[in-house]
Amino acid sequence: MLSCAEFLAEFGDYLEHAAEPGLRARLEEHLHECKTCCVIVDSTRKTVQIVTDSDCFNLPDVLGESIVTEIMGRVRQKS
Amino acid sequence: MTDTATTRGEAESTHDLLVPSHGPMPNLFRLQSELPKVVQAEEQLIRTIFLQDGSLSRTVKRGLLSTVARVRKNNYCWVLHSRGSTQQNDCSPDMQSIAVKLSSSGCSFSTHDLTPLRAAGFEDEALLDAVLTVALAQLLCTLAEALNPKLDFEPSTALNPLPLPEQELDVSTSAGPYIAAPPRRSFDFAPYAILRDNLGFVPNLFHAQGLRPDAIEAEVHAFEQIIVSDEYLSRTQKEGILLVFAAANANTYCVALQNQVLAALGTAENDIRQIANDFRHAGLSESDLALFEETQRLSWPMPGYEFSAERLRNAGFSSAQVLEACATAALGNFFATLQFGLGCVPDFTPERVFTAKDLYRLATLVRPISDVSTTDDPDSELVCQAQSGNKDAFEALMRRHNRRIFGTLAGILGDLDDARDATQEAFLKAFEHIGRFERRSKFSTWLTSIAVNTATEALRRRKPTESLDEIETEEDFRPRQVQQWASDPESILSATQRNSLVREAVLRLPYKYRIAVLLRDISQISTEDAAATLGLTIPALKARVLRGRLMLRESLAVHFTRLEKPDA
Repeated sequence: MLSCAEFLAEFGDYLEHAAEPGLRARLEEHLHECKTCCVIVDSTRKTVQIVTDSDCFNLPDVLGESIVTEIMGRVRQKS
Repeated sequence: MTDTATTRGEAESTHDLLVPSHGPMPNLFRLQSELPKVVQAEEQLIRTIFLQDGSLSRTVKRGLLSTVARVRKNNYCWVLHSRGSTQQNDCSPDMQSIAVKLSSSGCSFSTHDLTPLRAAGFEDEALLDAVLTVALAQLLCTLAEALNPKLDFEPSTALNPLPLPEQELDVSTSAGPYIAAPPRRSFDFAPYAILRDNLGFVPNLFHAQGLRPDAIEAEVHAFEQIIVSDEYLSRTQKEGILLVFAAANANTYCVALQNQVLAALGTAENDIRQIANDFRHAGLSESDLALFEETQRLSWPMPGYEFSAERLRNAGFSSAQVLEACATAALGNFFATLQFGLGCVPDFTPERVFTAKDLYRLATLVRPISDVSTTDDPDSELVCQAQSGNKDAFEALMRRHNRRIFGTLAGILGDLDDARDATQEAFLKAFEHIGRFERRSKFSTWLTSIAVNTATEALRRRKPTESLDEIETEEDFRPRQVQQWASDPESILSATQRNSLVREAVLRLPYKYRIAVLLRDISQISTEDAAATLGLTIPALKARVLRGRLMLRESLAVHFTRLEKPDA
């Protein structure tokens, strides 16, 4: 069975439901026996969800339009 | 430049030499007949490295020449070298690997790349022969890309391009030299006397070839005839081309060498430094700017970014000067390849040491980072129109991508004003270079590469003394927060609070993990595109994303851990 260290190094694809069947079986075998790694998988999935749902680096609409205007002004001068 | 150039002054000796090798005088050399001394120098290199029997057979060397032509997709050289051969390749896979890596990503070449050949019984003489032959192939391909000659023969088989190696962009740090060379007394070896007269010293690049004094002689002869002569371009202009070329190839050794040579010729140190870093902002005359820009294009063939002899003629250069610039560039590729293959130790303490980060930057400017051809790019039509000069199409592309680009830059820089400036800079660079975008990746990947490089440069300007290349190893990290999280953690805090926490946690991530997480989880681009953007292999990108996510989890855990005890 995989050790916790091996599990933590390999579970990236599992997190994204993209692990190959053989690897997935080995990872799930480990999860069946290891509650700590279960917690880590669950909380990492939730972390990804929180990060992807956040709009902490979003471009405000007003700023977005002014950036486009400024860049295109300079682009059109380059002709 | 086309093959309709005059053939006056054709060197008989070149004809005599090349006829037995390649049949009638190849068009590549006819086009240079205005400079018979240059043709004669190139002839001596071909005779010494390719025609002369050495440790490798001519068949193997022809295989190396063909391999480089296939890597550079150079049909002229492919047809020239493959004449009479029925195979795509006449050398072993290990030998072919040497040619592929040296010609496409020489800066990452290390002594380990020679190990398979050593294990197969090849001695140092044969390894030196192989490196010399690949360098010669680079010289010939560069000339063909510059001069665009007509084919000398009907091709017997179509060129089957070789893909670029799949690898993480990196710069070799293995200690050289890789090939043992017997010490050669400099006072009784004429080529060394020529080097001392013209450079003041004998560079290690030549010492490292001590097994082949005839090759040193041919190279020094080429250096004398092409670089030292002041007949057409000035020596300073040609040494400048070599400096620009060395920087485009990320060749620390050659940049240090050219720094020294240009300083000895009287160029100010600041000017040299600026030319090596970014010659476009070095205050050059219009003509010298054109000279460097056009010759730099010859460091690697990029469709849509071809060398233009016409631009140089319009800038006031004579046809002989243009030919000399092409020959200088070809010799620059020859020496850079030779140095990468031999791993010579710099002759002087380099003021600039190239790293993988430079390769990301160069990847967007002078050479591709992968060979993936993308046929399903949703931006394809707009890109075509923008490349034709349609600015409305470029605006449409910008509106499509500016939010994602801004988000990535804000995540890297951590400051909205800086992100705004960097977004503008990135799009202006994209506009400037869109003609060179050759669709080896999606447009969005290419654009994101430019944005990441722009932000990286801004970070370096902001904190010039702080390393962005963390040395932390994979073994350093262990999860410490192992308590169960709440079933719906997002309900615990308001959106504003969550955004603030995520923002702070992302900005605390070490740089390389932060960029990986930003691309995958904030910008939500695919693993493949994120890997291509950063010049990483897919496994390397995945490893960084996973590590970054685990680190974020550690930072956020304290806020989202459920208060009740986990179920037994």
